[in-house]
Amino acid sequence: QESHAIGRRPDNPADLVEEGELLLTLNIFYPVIFQKHKDHKPYQTVFVLGSQELTQLRDSISCVSDLQIGGEFSNQPDQAPEHISKDLYKSAFFYFEGIFYNDRRYSECRDLSRTITEWSESHDRGYGNLQSVKMEDYTFNDLSLKIGFPYLFCHQGNCEHIIIITDIRLIHYDDCLDRTLYPLLIKKHWLCTRKCFVCKMYTARWVTNKDSLAPEDPCFFCDVCFRMLHYDAEGNKLGEFLAYPYVDPGIFN
Amino acid sequence: MSAVPGLQADCEELLGAFLEADTVRFERFAELWRERRFHTIFYGRIRALERNKLTKKTLELAQQYFLPPYAFQIRVGALYLLYGLYNTQLCQPKQKIRIALRDWPEIQRFQQDLIDSQHYDAAYIFRTLRLARAFHFTAMPKLLNYRTKKKTEENEFKEEFKEPSNRVNSLITNDLLEELMNIHDHYQKMKCVISADKSQPDKALSLIKDDFVVNLKDVALDYQEWQQNRMKLFLNAKETGETSKKKEEETLVESEGSERANALARIKYKSYSAVIEASKSRRHRQVRLESSESGSNCGKSPSKSEKNSRRPQPAGRRDSLE
Repeated sequence: QESHAIGRRPDNPADLVEEGELLLTLNIFYPVIFQKHKDHKPYQTVFVLGSQELTQLRDSISCVSDLQIGGEFSNQPDQAPEHISKDLYKSAFFYFEGIFYNDRRYSECRDLSRTITEWSESHDRGYGNLQSVKMEDYTFNDLSLKIGFPYLFCHQGNCEHIIIITDIRLIHYDDCLDRTLYPLLIKKHWLCTRKCFVCKMYTARWVTNKDSLAPEDPCFFCDVCFRMLHYDAEGNKLGEFLAYPYVDPGIFN
Repeated sequence: MSAVPGLQADCEELLGAFLEADTVRFERFAELWRERRFHTIFYGRIRALERNKLTKKTLELAQQYFLPPYAFQIRVGALYLLYGLYNTQLCQPKQKIRIALRDWPEIQRFQQDLIDSQHYDAAYIFRTLRLARAFHFTAMPKLLNYRTKKKTEENEFKEEFKEPSNRVNSLITNDLLEELMNIHDHYQKMKCVISADKSQPDKALSLIKDDFVVNLKDVALDYQEWQQNRMKLFLNAKETGETSKKKEEETLVESEGSERANALARIKYKSYSAVIEASKSRRHRQVRLESSESGSNCGKSPSKSEKNSRRPQPAGRRDSLE
């Protein structure tokens, strides 16, 4: 799976990865949505350079919770908003070795780790001194890390990903030496996409609850089938239901 | 990553044959390699993904023999094995050999040893691997893989390959003996200086044996010889014990082992049977001679107890055959 980038060299010589650069291999685990994943959590494997900032890794993590669109749209199905959760809730943090690295690049970003640090300081919980710093000020070379130890990435307030570093080594002649391609995705778990209940062909884009027209609750529809079933030719709502836009976890396949 | 079946056995067989050849020349290793057509070890997996995995595991296994605590000859054999495996692998681009940061000083010392002892073929091969960029410089030796294992597999390596750990020698090194000698001479000179007769120390000052450093060295050498003899005895006994089921050969092994056992038993008997009579003031606490069957087993070395335990086995085996 690494084959697409092996031996790549950059077009711009300024982007060449230098000798002595460290290459870290990270496993980023998906949060458990489906119960079948409880024992063997699916994960993606990423290569990261030692000189890259933590924010570069944060930006490269693709999680379906970032794409959620909040809100009920049964009455105005055409007006699904332009903003996805990623734009609305930009806060995130990494937790490595007792320090929380918070994303503070934008004014909307909050310190999500404050709850945890306050909790640990309120009584003598035995967690020592937990610190909070800015994510954008640190590169991976600045961190001291344990290989195989689980660390945390949290975004969207409560979407948590375990991160495990599986390998650290020096960059090699045969590796991809184009800096712009890092963090480089090496391996990704393939998730089954949920198909529309009606046509069973297209990926579901809507989910309905308390739907008088649907056989099950919740029920998934693709865009076409959803409109055909729930709205008449003039666009009037038929029946009672609550409709939410649905983003399937398998969207990144 | 689960172990590849048979891989360790094959590698150990090749390294064992190299050990027996009692040489570190690459030509000999290459002959053994070609006899076994060892390059076919990679032919098992056809698909690219599996080929990569197999090659990684093979190199990882071979790499372990390249580091201490293995004997010098095994390490040279492992170097040749890595060279052969790296060059005959089918993956494109080639899978690399992972060496951890903490192992590099040891490997550099090893390379220096090779050059100093004029094993230029081995040194050249190592240099070739370095120039071919065959190594990954990693933080940890084993690449982690996340699969919840039901039980952890333990690597059992052959005892014969390991260099026998000589703790006496690592404690009483040549440097230490030299320093002891120097201190001893200095001490003698000091005694002479403060004595009436300048050429030799006063009789009143002779509190230690004059030649104790030499004795210490002799004792250490004796121990090393004894350990080597014991290893040889153990290997011989193991071979004869495995291949023969006849009682005659068993008794031969028994007689070899039992000679020493009898000698030891005799000495122990003498020391334990002679009871010193306590003085009259301690009449109530006379030493009593206790006899215990298992008493003589305490001091025996493990190889002898193993031989003893092997004696009942052939009887059992013969019973099952009948």
